[in-house]
Amino acid sequence: MNRSTPIRGIAVALTAAAVLAPAMPASAQDIRIGYAIARSGPWAVGAQVTQEPNYVMWAEQVNAAGGLNVGGKKRKVELVAYDDRSNMETVVRTYEKLMTSDKVDLILPPWGTGANFAIMPLAAKHGYPMLSCTAAGRKLIGMKNPYFFALLQQPDVIMDALAEYMVARKVKTAAVIHVDELFGLEMYTGLEASMKRKGIQIVEKKSYPLGIKDLSPVLKGMQAKKPDAFIGLTYPPGTFLSTGQSKAIGFSPKIFYLAVATAFPVYRDKMTPATVEGVMGIGSWNPKTGAEAKAYFDAHVKRWKKEPDRWASAHCWAGLQILQAAVEKVGLDRKKIRDYIAGTEHATIIGKMRFKGSENVSTPGVVSQWQNGEFEVVWPPQRATSAALFPKPDWK
Amino acid sequence: MGFWLELAASGLITGGIYAVVAIGLNLQYGLMRIMNISHGEFLMLGAYLTWLAHTTLKINPILLLPVVAIAMFLLGVVVYRLCFRRIARAAPTVEVIEARSLLVGFGLMFLVQNTVNLIWGADLRGYSFMAEPVDIGGARFMANRLLVFGFAVAASLGLLALLRWTMIGKAVRAMMQSPTGAQLVGVDTGTLHPVVFGAGLALAGVAGGLLSMVYEISPSMGEPYTVTALIVITLGGLGSAIGSLLGGFLLGLVEAFGMHFTNPSLKMVLSYGVLVAVLVARPKGLFAR
Repeated sequence: MNRSTPIRGIAVALTAAAVLAPAMPASAQDIRIGYAIARSGPWAVGAQVTQEPNYVMWAEQVNAAGGLNVGGKKRKVELVAYDDRSNMETVVRTYEKLMTSDKVDLILPPWGTGANFAIMPLAAKHGYPMLSCTAAGRKLIGMKNPYFFALLQQPDVIMDALAEYMVARKVKTAAVIHVDELFGLEMYTGLEASMKRKGIQIVEKKSYPLGIKDLSPVLKGMQAKKPDAFIGLTYPPGTFLSTGQSKAIGFSPKIFYLAVATAFPVYRDKMTPATVEGVMGIGSWNPKTGAEAKAYFDAHVKRWKKEPDRWASAHCWAGLQILQAAVEKVGLDRKKIRDYIAGTEHATIIGKMRFKGSENVSTPGVVSQWQNGEFEVVWPPQRATSAALFPKPDWK
Repeated sequence: MGFWLELAASGLITGGIYAVVAIGLNLQYGLMRIMNISHGEFLMLGAYLTWLAHTTLKINPILLLPVVAIAMFLLGVVVYRLCFRRIARAAPTVEVIEARSLLVGFGLMFLVQNTVNLIWGADLRGYSFMAEPVDIGGARFMANRLLVFGFAVAASLGLLALLRWTMIGKAVRAMMQSPTGAQLVGVDTGTLHPVVFGAGLALAGVAGGLLSMVYEISPSMGEPYTVTALIVITLGGLGSAIGSLLGGFLLGLVEAFGMHFTNPSLKMVLSYGVLVAVLVARPKGLFAR
């Protein structure tokens, strides 16, 4: 088994950079791009799957090609990276330092809705465009921050897609759990509205705290009500827990849908492909959605010896593609970069992308489903890479 | 099995998980007053060792548990020698031992967490083991959770018997009551101290190995377990093996029924509510003497 990991890779890359530094002095011409991200603490689980491996791989690819083309001159990228230790204060202080003291040319966003929300005012104040790939919530869009761009689909869009799929399958009832975090609350608000519009009845709804170790009392209560669908607006621990415990008690409704980490390869590996067969979740893409997506997937596996997740990883890569195109088009003037991002339809690995205010209005809500070890896109039909398994097969 | 019995059973099984997490710390803090706040980190280390050996060498994780226990015991003796021996010797009172060991524990916490982070990265890890439902009287439970429950009961009763009916157990209890008195009657505290600390770490490691079968693991998984362990041993009474087990059961039951009647979001309120109620009624815990 290869135990090469992003952290180790990143450490090696940074050490190599330090060792090589005297031979190849960081040129004043280098483009310095700064960020703070969780390498330790509870956020690191998401950040090291979805975000930082993409940042490092992108910088390596750009530099291997000679750098970014700024006004006809190739300039290399230098990443200025800090560990935020999953601490909100550290995130804010570090970005303030990056913008005012390190004076980096550009920034990349931190991990998670909360951390992105926390640095939005700084981005506006110092004029740094933020292409955020792990921030979702109408609250953030509603801030009307001109420098903030959310690459993920918004909660109501994601939930509308699920509701449409349910209507197409004549599903009438659902039981819902959601995690007591900003993410879970935003998603539930979106879900409730979608279900109401589509005439689907929520027969039971319960919230749960992040550190829970047993959901079986809740799941048994829901099982007794025989809903057509189970919808878990979960964070990773709840995603694993509700899968294992639903299997244990034999709770296998026609639709079994979970949120964050369902698209992570480790979910399939820990629970086994046979167990997760038919489990649905939030997704966007997989290696079959396009040639560019396949190339990205292969490059990621080659570089990190692990697969990217099938939701936000590709949004993160799309953000880097947009940033690269912007710099090569308008140079390093951040106001011009912002205007370019806001006013252009971008070509990315997840398809065309256009922003209205802060919102990505091009990428539709997507429902994906584990089938034979791949997280297949099953809804909307024009994006599907496979037909949906409905009803979900019994747990194996 | 009726619905209520089933609910009670699932509460007891979760309670068993809480008890398993607490046993190791109960030895270190309950009996020696070493406030090893890095307990959860050593549990995490046990989980990683089990995961690593299982996924690379394909060995049955149950067979790995004794290996993990021995490795963690030896590590415990070394950690004691390096970090806690001076504190235990030089401190004039047990209160001073608590305060000083707490600070050392914080240091160890960062050290262990970041070491694991550097070696294996921050990714979630996990494997599937005994993830099959078992039917008991019409109710279904996950086999790996039942295993943890069985270990919790066996280890707690074993520890109880050891402390109550063997010479070693008597020596350990004597050492806790009066280190000087124990030395006077011939108890070799210089050997016993590191051994008990090492046993605490071994039990933390085994608990981690067991939990890696049930839950996914990551370098940051330890801290919440330290908090759980502290609640359980405070609830049961410091140093009481049976207290930890029953304290864990009580928490599990209250959460299961509480979650059924109210909302899982109130879990913390329920757990701390029980703790406050017990401490008001019996300030030294349920089974303190």
